[in-house]
Amino acid sequence: MSLVSELRKQPAKWKNKSNLSVYYLLVIVVIAGIAMLILDPNFLTVRNLFNVLNQQSTLGIVTMGVAMALIAGCIDLTVGNLLASTAAIAALMLQAGVRDFWVILITCLAGLAAGALTGLIVVKTRIDTFIATLGLMSIYQGIALIIPNGNNIYLQGKFGWFGTYRVADIVPISVIYFVVITVIAYLVMRFTKYGRKLYSIGGNPEAAFLAGINLGLNKVYAYAVTGLLSGFTSLIVISRIGQSQPAMGVSYPLEAIAAAVIGGVGLSGGRGTIPGVFLGVILLGLIRNSLNLLRVPSFYQYVMLGAVIIIAVALSNLGAFKRNGKS
Amino acid sequence: MERKKLIEVKGCSKSFPGVKAFYKIDFDLYAGEIHCVVGENGAGKTTFIKMLAGALRPDEGVIQINGQQFTYLTPALAHQLGIQTIYQEISLAPDLTVAENIFMGQEPVNRFGFIDYPRLKGESKKLLENLRIDLDVDTLVGNLSIPQRQSVQIARAMAMEAKIFILDEPTASYGTNEIANLLELVKQIAASGVGVIYISHHLDEVFSIHDRITVLRDGIKVATHGKNEVSENKIISEMIGRDISKYYTRDKWEIDASKTVSFEHISGGAAVKNVSFSIRKGEIVGFAGMVGSGRTDLVRLIFGADKKSSGRVLIEGKEVEINDPKQAIAAGFSLLTEDRQRTGLILDHSVEWNVSIVHITNSPGSLIHEREELENVSHYVDAINIRTPGIYQEVRNLSGGNQQKVVLAKWLYANANLIIFDEPTRGIDVGAKEEIYKLMVQLARQGKYILMISSEMPELIAMCDRVFVMRHGRIVAEISREQLSEENILTHSIGGIL
Repeated sequence: MSLVSELRKQPAKWKNKSNLSVYYLLVIVVIAGIAMLILDPNFLTVRNLFNVLNQQSTLGIVTMGVAMALIAGCIDLTVGNLLASTAAIAALMLQAGVRDFWVILITCLAGLAAGALTGLIVVKTRIDTFIATLGLMSIYQGIALIIPNGNNIYLQGKFGWFGTYRVADIVPISVIYFVVITVIAYLVMRFTKYGRKLYSIGGNPEAAFLAGINLGLNKVYAYAVTGLLSGFTSLIVISRIGQSQPAMGVSYPLEAIAAAVIGGVGLSGGRGTIPGVFLGVILLGLIRNSLNLLRVPSFYQYVMLGAVIIIAVALSNLGAFKRNGKS
Repeated sequence: MERKKLIEVKGCSKSFPGVKAFYKIDFDLYAGEIHCVVGENGAGKTTFIKMLAGALRPDEGVIQINGQQFTYLTPALAHQLGIQTIYQEISLAPDLTVAENIFMGQEPVNRFGFIDYPRLKGESKKLLENLRIDLDVDTLVGNLSIPQRQSVQIARAMAMEAKIFILDEPTASYGTNEIANLLELVKQIAASGVGVIYISHHLDEVFSIHDRITVLRDGIKVATHGKNEVSENKIISEMIGRDISKYYTRDKWEIDASKTVSFEHISGGAAVKNVSFSIRKGEIVGFAGMVGSGRTDLVRLIFGADKKSSGRVLIEGKEVEINDPKQAIAAGFSLLTEDRQRTGLILDHSVEWNVSIVHITNSPGSLIHEREELENVSHYVDAINIRTPGIYQEVRNLSGGNQQKVVLAKWLYANANLIIFDEPTRGIDVGAKEEIYKLMVQLARQGKYILMISSEMPELIAMCDRVFVMRHGRIVAEISREQLSEENILTHSIGGIL
């Protein structure tokens, strides 16, 4: 058994390329942080760092769901408009005086059900996931308008605690949500059979099928989770802005996919890690925050953000080409 | 006979890294002639015609077409010279009509530059009538059967004014009637003065239409025979004629005949028809047959990867339900696919992930016990000697032989009892082949049930206790170890003499 002992000696447990991209990202995030510190000493205050995390928390939670689906090779573009739909449901319930606990539960369940439905449609119709969710995205946009009859619904001071409470007056509660959900996502993808199945389905669906994995069922689960997380996120958003708006969340699907891809998730599935995705979300937030601190006008911020996404993904693609070229 | 020579190939060779596809081939073709080319799988037939179609360049030699001399052809040049090739795969646009497909790329136009549909249809109709093909020119090609599509493809080649017409295994998925129709069509085309090269491993077809037959073996031309100059037996022996002694030889061991896995009346799709057989504990059973004879389709049905339309499975006397791979795995079945990179492995994932995937996803519980996985994977990597820098290495970076061992390790870890090997040594170099053979023997001796599909006859002869031969989706022969020979297998595979 000499080989066994030798294999045990191998260092890092997850020494594959997904892991490497996590290290690269960490370095990039640290460098970006140092650069900001030099440009603006305000950057490294506890308050500003929590601000960055707080701003990114809603996108971050949605991104966790989107990334897990992407790892299974499933694109989900519905998250933003689905979020607006569940936001309308939640706001109407709050307006009608439903207790907070029931609002939270029902909204999350509505998101879960809608996500599962998306999954069923994708699996049963066998339409390419991009196209199927593109169609559904428009359907949910319609629903987000139909439910509140096109109006904003104001919460009149109710439910503020859910998204704005600060633990010990300093840690925003939505940062805690984000971190807890990230940790759960990490544990699921790293230590459960379900996580491993998602990786296999995305990596090679035919091989996964022949290994006895139920492709359809696991894809439905993946979409149900993105739906659940969208529903949950809608609660944070309405709590913060005190109202639901039919047009909210429209930028989420693309930003979430961008964050996941920057974090090392492959669009064709099978690759990526939750720590990487977390750093991808943080990196996007850091850049946005830096541009704010540097007082770059918001119109230009869009341009720069887009450029950063393209450069980050291009760099990781170049790396992939080199690796494949070697073999 | 005063006939025009269309093709004269002199001394053409082609090799790929490590393989000689064909070597110093001489070949000619006259107008109005049907020249058949026969040979085993891998004899170089397809590569040879690819050269004539301009799809690849020979390393040496000359090709004369209509007296013009070339060192190589390009697809455009071949087209210009009137060479039309029909491969096994059909290349038509399913969403266009028969008429549109026939004239694709050379549609007649009216004076406004739009397609002249009345003329398009009229000429298509005339062409189909001339060829006696009974098809409506307005039907969408997507709605046609495979043989019907094939005839559209032939009509299309004729519309391009083919002078030289090459067909590569055109009848692979045909029924008997359809074959007769196609052969009739081919004869008619030749009668109109076109030179036809007809590639097939079905000797009965070849004998019914040939003017001449050329036999290829391992890339070398063995002989060219004229009409009625030769018997089928002679052709078969020319197709084989190879030294077996250099192949692996295995020991004999006791087979426990009291325990069997039986398959009864398995049918499914168009490819497999009413197949029954059984495997004894500790036995290696082989499946021979030509490409397209339904062997791979059969094992996919057995494994639940495709839906059976009928049939049942008995493991040691007990009937088991198998409708998907999960149930097959629960029953102790495993499948090492022919194309391991595309269907057997997740190339971007590590050796560890690939070896453990079946066990992980088919054992109870929802958590991965990482320590245990690590130990078991290491054990199998060690036990079957997978050479990898470490178990975290991506399988993409391993050699073909080691990739095959990773697939095998995955099934051993999942505790497979019946192991199906589909072309176990394809794309694997000689040294690694022998290691795979040794592992198969070892597994059989441990009392596993082994089923292997192979197109390499020496491999079947060396390894198997019994060989079933399939042809057109049925088992046409069962050959015991004592009677195994290349002649015997080949005769049944091509349905020459029964």
